[in-house]
Amino acid sequence: MDESCKALWEKLSAALKPQVSADTFKRWFSAVELTKATEDELTFHVPNNIYQFWIESNHMTALQSAITTALGAPRTVRFLTFAESDSDDFAAPQARKTDGGSSSKTVGLGLSLNPRNTFESFVVGPNNQIAHAASLAVAQAPARTYNPLFVYGGVGLGKTHLMQAIGQYVWMKKKTSKVMYLSSELFINEFIDAIQHNTLVKFRKRYRQADLLLIDDIQFLGGKERSQEEFFHTFNTLFDGHKQIVLSSDRPASEIANLEHRLVSRFEWGLTAELQPPDIETRLAILRKKARTLQIKLHDEVYQFLATRIRSNVRRLEGALMRVASFASLSGKELTQETIEHLLKDILLEERRQTVTIEQIQRKVAEHFDVRLADMTSKRRPASIAFPRQVAMYLARELTKASLNEIGDSFGGGDHGTVLHACKLVKRRMTEQDNIRQTISFIDSALQR
Amino acid sequence: MKFSATKEKLLEGLQQVQNVVSTRTTLPILSNVLLQAREGAVHLTTTDLDVGVRGSFEANVDKPGATTLPARRLFTIIRELPSSEILIEVDGKNAASIRSGQSFFKILGLPEEEFPPLPKFENAKIVTMRQKDLHDGLRKTAYAISTDETRYVLNGVLFSFKENKLTLVATDGRRLAMVDIELEFPRSHEADIIVPTKAVTELQRLLTNDGDVKISVGSGQIAFDLNNTLLVSKLIEGNYPNYKQVIPAEAKERVTLERETFLNSLRRVSLLASDKSNSIKLNFTKNNIEITANTPEVGEARESLPVAYKGREFSVAFNPEFLMAPLRNLAEDEIFFDLIDEMSPGVLKIQTPFLYVLMPMRVSS
Repeated sequence: MDESCKALWEKLSAALKPQVSADTFKRWFSAVELTKATEDELTFHVPNNIYQFWIESNHMTALQSAITTALGAPRTVRFLTFAESDSDDFAAPQARKTDGGSSSKTVGLGLSLNPRNTFESFVVGPNNQIAHAASLAVAQAPARTYNPLFVYGGVGLGKTHLMQAIGQYVWMKKKTSKVMYLSSELFINEFIDAIQHNTLVKFRKRYRQADLLLIDDIQFLGGKERSQEEFFHTFNTLFDGHKQIVLSSDRPASEIANLEHRLVSRFEWGLTAELQPPDIETRLAILRKKARTLQIKLHDEVYQFLATRIRSNVRRLEGALMRVASFASLSGKELTQETIEHLLKDILLEERRQTVTIEQIQRKVAEHFDVRLADMTSKRRPASIAFPRQVAMYLARELTKASLNEIGDSFGGGDHGTVLHACKLVKRRMTEQDNIRQTISFIDSALQR
Repeated sequence: MKFSATKEKLLEGLQQVQNVVSTRTTLPILSNVLLQAREGAVHLTTTDLDVGVRGSFEANVDKPGATTLPARRLFTIIRELPSSEILIEVDGKNAASIRSGQSFFKILGLPEEEFPPLPKFENAKIVTMRQKDLHDGLRKTAYAISTDETRYVLNGVLFSFKENKLTLVATDGRRLAMVDIELEFPRSHEADIIVPTKAVTELQRLLTNDGDVKISVGSGQIAFDLNNTLLVSKLIEGNYPNYKQVIPAEAKERVTLERETFLNSLRRVSLLASDKSNSIKLNFTKNNIEITANTPEVGEARESLPVAYKGREFSVAFNPEFLMAPLRNLAEDEIFFDLIDEMSPGVLKIQTPFLYVLMPMRVSS
């Protein structure tokens, strides 16, 4: 207690004494210390929480009127228990010990961690090397390396797999740690539930005592303002308490629509790792690994065929493998290219649909920049649409096999020089300006979806 | 799975477990009851992940097996069935056919494997006591539990095992109820644990006046084994406040009161205690207590209670609900009311180790 607080407390005590009985004063207020006094708040240190509970319930009016008498105006009163500061160290292991039961239940219950999703079963390729390495680092030393870890990538590229692998690794290594894995949708639902049943305190307590919080598909928080606010506080509490947070999303944090800035900046605080669609070698490796775990034996040509034809999505790749394998074992027939093609015709059709046309690009770009589609193809080119046109040309060059002249024709008859210029310009601006790079990669991924 | 049982037995079994069933919809399996048909009995289990109860009822089991069915729905159906013989058969897809007299019901369940298992107790500390003692102790304390969720350590009853005594404590910051129960247990079993309100409420329903209850305290959890029924619950984490601080050292005045007479007087007078101030005043004079209540613009009530009192004349005010709660839950005829002055807490006591501390209300007179 410094001098000014001491003097203030003496003044307060004098005002308080006549208001409460001597026994009450001795019992409850003699052990109280005034530790901090600001313009609108007084902080009192009390030996343990019973002081806080009892004074709050029974002697607040007396205390407030004493404050008004001594200081001339009411103040907000805050209590701090010594227990909160000192006993933390030995209370913490005890709390964890008791948590053991519940966290093992969380995992044992299979609330959502799939035991198959481990680091061992994850196939690493150049497309996901960074994300894998970062996840492993996080799992080995939670909250020490990258916090938060933000993993993003398209559908079926292994976000959930990596997150669950982190969860299981941490839990296996230390069974007492509190691992929470959930989708942001569940978080929102439980939050709504908590509001409905007036159990917000319980809700907060539940999330804010996690040692490792894994939230999948965080993009669903977009547009949910109150959930975002709640999550913001949960995030801060965990972060300040040096607890690991791992998030996944199908797009970079900055591109999640209607996500508050303070959340975006927090998500980008630690490490952001992208998962890209696997290249052909990785796809082959995935198929082989999957086949081994499922104990399927197929000809090399079959793997080759599947890996070349199905490019976008690992989940689809595995589904196709399952289908082919079960057909082979059920019918006992030799697998020819025709049978496989017939067997997978819906999947292959779906894949083929993803080859992008110039028209699709124009439509998507027009939509994104909010210009008319006609502007893309017309001979007139007002300055306002110059850049969208250039972006569309660049994308057409990157994503289709069309020649420069063909592209030029589709954009209302520019020659190949126009297209070349557009590509160069867009490329340069992408390296110079982050937001342009993000915009373009967003349109790019939207087209390939 | 196939079994038949009487309506009475089935209802009794379901009633034991169905209160625990979760009302939250996030995990549908939690609104189901797990039925496990074994030789001559069907075991029932429900849980909300915090509290779980397992019970059983007698039945003729034709085909053993297990499934889970929506608890509330099953209960309402069984209750309405016309005949006393009930036949339940469950197919491989967890659809249950219920036949009784001319009625037929089919309800859809979920597989047994989805049901979360009740926690295991390893290296638990076990204490056995009479059900009657625990029942009695909880009745005398549970009403004082705090419902304020921000003070979550107070949302339950403290079970303090110390020096061959089990002390039960509940408080909400304005009043505190405490009971001591003599109990033999080894030194190594000494512990302070907080049992949450829901478990206490369920336990009070399940406890009877005969037989023993086996209490197992594991890490972060507790189990109460009452012969046929088992209740397990998570414990509230944290340290219960030092309740001894609240108990006044010594009383200046003591009155002996007849519990029912005092309660009835309070109940009558409290009819005119206002919602806002919600207090009634006790005026102590020689050999008399005058109980008064008044609400401006409504009216007033007054009642005299002759007692043996020779102390100082003074008045003290209390919240009538808080004063009546222990009187309702005690069984003793004679109670002692210890007081110091109008600003200090009052204490209710009885012959056996029980204590109820109640803060007075501030009255502007």
